[in-house]
Amino acid sequence: MWLQLLVNAFSLGSFYALIALGFALIFGVTHAFNLAHGELIILSGYLAYSLNVGLGVPFWGVFPPCMLVLMALMAALHGLLRLVKEPFELNSLVLTFGLALVLQNLMLWGFGADYKLLAAGGSAFNPSWLPVTVTRTQLVLIVLSLVGTAAVYLLLTRTYLGKALRATIQQREAARLAGIQVQRMSLAAFGMGGLLIGLAGPLFGRNAYLHPAGGTEATLIAIIITIFAGVGKIRGILIGGWLLGLVESFTAWLVGGSWRELVSAVILIVLLLKWPQGVLTGNRTRTLP
Amino acid sequence: MAAGRADRKPNANAAVSSGTRSIDLLPSAGVLLLLLGWPPVAAPADIYLRVFGLACFYGALALAWNLVALTGLLSLGHAAFFGMGAYGAALADHYWQLPPFAAIGIGAILGAAYGGLWMATFRRLRGAAFALATLASVEIPKVIIDNWDAFTFGSLGVVGISRLPTLDLGGRVLDFGTSLTAQYYLLLLFLVVVGGFHFAALHSRWGWAIRAVREDETAAAALGVNVPAVRAQALLLSALLTALGGGLYAHLMGLIEPPLVFSLHLSALPLVLTIFGGRYRAFGPVLGALVLYPADQLLFHRWLPSGHALLYGLVIVIALLFCPRGIAAWLSWNRRSAWKSKTSG
Amino acid sequence: MAVALRGLTPLKRILWVLLWVASASGAVAAAAAPIRIGEINPLTGRLANHGIEIHEGILYAVEEANAAGGIGGRPLELVSRDDQSLAEVAVNQAEDLILREHVVDLVGGYVDAMVGPISQLAARYRTPYVASASLQRALTEGRPNPYFFRVSSLEGVTAPLSRFVLEVVQPGKVAILHAATPGATELSQELRERFDQAKLPLAMVEKFRPGTTDFSPFLLKVREAGVDVLIVNGFLADHLILVRQLRELRVPLKAYIGPWGVAYPSFTAELGAAADGLVGMCAWDPEITLAGTEAESQRLVEGFRRRFGKVPSTTSMHGYSSARALLAALQQVAASGRQPTGEALSQALRGLDLKLPMERLQFDAAGDPLTYQQVMVQIQNGRMLAVYPRERAAAEFKPMPPLD
Repeated sequence: MWLQLLVNAFSLGSFYALIALGFALIFGVTHAFNLAHGELIILSGYLAYSLNVGLGVPFWGVFPPCMLVLMALMAALHGLLRLVKEPFELNSLVLTFGLALVLQNLMLWGFGADYKLLAAGGSAFNPSWLPVTVTRTQLVLIVLSLVGTAAVYLLLTRTYLGKALRATIQQREAARLAGIQVQRMSLAAFGMGGLLIGLAGPLFGRNAYLHPAGGTEATLIAIIITIFAGVGKIRGILIGGWLLGLVESFTAWLVGGSWRELVSAVILIVLLLKWPQGVLTGNRTRTLP
Repeated sequence: MAAGRADRKPNANAAVSSGTRSIDLLPSAGVLLLLLGWPPVAAPADIYLRVFGLACFYGALALAWNLVALTGLLSLGHAAFFGMGAYGAALADHYWQLPPFAAIGIGAILGAAYGGLWMATFRRLRGAAFALATLASVEIPKVIIDNWDAFTFGSLGVVGISRLPTLDLGGRVLDFGTSLTAQYYLLLLFLVVVGGFHFAALHSRWGWAIRAVREDETAAAALGVNVPAVRAQALLLSALLTALGGGLYAHLMGLIEPPLVFSLHLSALPLVLTIFGGRYRAFGPVLGALVLYPADQLLFHRWLPSGHALLYGLVIVIALLFCPRGIAAWLSWNRRSAWKSKTSG
Repeated sequence: MAVALRGLTPLKRILWVLLWVASASGAVAAAAAPIRIGEINPLTGRLANHGIEIHEGILYAVEEANAAGGIGGRPLELVSRDDQSLAEVAVNQAEDLILREHVVDLVGGYVDAMVGPISQLAARYRTPYVASASLQRALTEGRPNPYFFRVSSLEGVTAPLSRFVLEVVQPGKVAILHAATPGATELSQELRERFDQAKLPLAMVEKFRPGTTDFSPFLLKVREAGVDVLIVNGFLADHLILVRQLRELRVPLKAYIGPWGVAYPSFTAELGAAADGLVGMCAWDPEITLAGTEAESQRLVEGFRRRFGKVPSTTSMHGYSSARALLAALQQVAASGRQPTGEALSQALRGLDLKLPMERLQFDAAGDPLTYQQVMVQIQNGRMLAVYPRERAAAEFKPMPPLD
């Protein structure tokens, strides 16, 4: 019973982490607040649906096209955001807000208002030595979140590109002085963010449902986990996602689903008060007069 | 000296020159006169009064939100104040049959109290952490109200909230409950009141303190500005005014439910309107509301019933690309260039 | 005209052209001034799927009437607006329709939070409003509104549902899960009252916020408590997730009942075989139609399929029925030689007696339909079959098979 709850909580948390990864990477490197994030995930989901249900492409086969298309779209978005002038963070926020509305409507026209699902095929796993059921989707979510986080983390720490990205995250101006092409880094971040968004789309369609108006919740989750984890802290995304999943599931179990948001909010606030720079940054808090 | 300043590259934090107040005052007065004088002249149908009244209302909410933004903190949780104001007024009306303006007052005080809670708890938070904490803080009253069926009716919402009263002011009967003209002027009055505070927050001694806090807290404190006090004043005022708006809304609509008055949309709208209209102009957020809301309700809905949000989004995107400092700055730019040429020529 | 415009400045030319166009259209308009009907539905947002279904039903009725020659020689024109699921927008658009678009009546609506304010506006401007999917009691209680009518009511849902559970399903333990919306909450409250009266204990009642994507903690609790009948007052999207998670968590249920959102072709299309055994409710279905209206129903289904490429759902039928009521009233008023004023239309609606595939439509003094009863349906082998009440049943209710 508890074990099943735990499994479900980790699966949910992994789902949240995967949704947030793309947003966190883009925000960390470019400080672009992409409010159209959720809509882009849904778009990727719709693309997966068209391929999977419309053309009969097997589930694993939809990932490459979705990831590539979203990478291209994010590169285009990067181009658009380059036209945005100071103040960049706020203007990008409001601009992507407008874009989100445009995307929602386009998806409504293009794909209709009916709710769509990507069928969750395959049998679940019932290990005889544990009284739990782990569905294929859950396994995929947990594995992919670990793989995705590890991939991004390794990219950021072990490769030259990653080091350049981290430098851009930490100190933009200094990075420029060090010879790093900041604009290229932004483009790289957007591109990689696109890959991660493309990855999250089909999973969204399988684990939840697809609807033009469904992006808002995904954006919200991405924002919450990104800020909670601290800017640029990729491992924090996974921890944050898992924490949110655990808190929600156990609250729903103990006191009922209608208290989920309140408990999550209180815990979030408490943790923010303790670590205002993000949960994994330790004691680097700014003291105030 | 003024010419020298005008030659410098303009930064986003509004002109330093003393011309700022006059740059703001004239257009603000102009906009105000237009809003005051338009109904008697054009005798519009109720629909226009309703839509422009609500545009003034949202403009006021945006101005109230901007009070906190001017101190350098971006709040994503103003819906909490709105909702508490709405529920305070609605429940006071339902249980004690208080006169509407008194009920609204109670709602406003509740909102301000929650703002005080923010002050106490979020004192040390800045930037993204502050934004996230305020976002999360909306859930607390929302979920409590939604679950407390016995007192707040939970998800059913509060229905049958009294209409605004009919006042007799020196022989002139103002039926705020059913006359759309009276409602329009009431909402305009709300806008003017909030606008007055907003103007002061930009162009008064207090405004200078706010600006100092926004630009560099430590330096401001070193100069002797009481930073916590300035922040508290702005936040409490902002909370009070937003909650006042919530109470007004409850009485105007007659029914409220938790997802409506604590909605994310209400938290985001002031931000969008302010950035669209212009952050550092006294009438910037108002302009945003006066342009976007009527355009959406009267034009976009008519042209594309199922695609109006597309036009709304496009307008925002295009405006942001061409007027990054808000459309108010674009309107003021003409004056500034005239000022520039006058002083340098 | 090009000659006449020569010599004028560009601005003056434009003004002259506009004047000409305006006068020309005025002349055309006078010939056969259309009767304008306004509709307000959620066309965007979470409920867009149902709003669009209602819109399609209304549109079909209007086009049907136009194909038959209109009303009194005048064509009908439908002016549609979106309410964005916000009461404020619904009121703005309703007022716009009445004052700027000059519609003679209003139709549509899916959520009562919007229907209520629109009905008040209708009373203020003396324009009849026939709501397509309004349910809550508060709208027809209290002061009667002579301009408000609706083709549905909550009673038509609660009564058959509770009787079905008590008489046919006979559960050991019942649990209710409902969305945190006024309509779903009211339905749950009504059910609880009836179950209390019948001494049927409720194992648990829980609420969830629309947009939830994970119900596993609740379902685990359901499994632990040994609940065998689960009633879910949620929407189509919620059922999509719940049904999937039910099977994943291996929750053994005798019956899964979803009053809203289950009895839809789009639902069975997305779930496929996983939808088998689920119980829903509908007021109409191609195979579940009022006695004596089978032929009309059949024609409707075929015509709708040709027009929209899909089979109408129960929600589309609500839209269609509400529009038909308005059209019948318009017809009656036109036939008696009067102008379609608000008062005349209201009177005609009040005295209406119209046999439709969904119901025999007659309104009582408060605007509620006299005989609105939904039917319990169960999805068996991919088909939606009526299982209760007996007079309209096509099959027996089958408890859900045990999970292997």
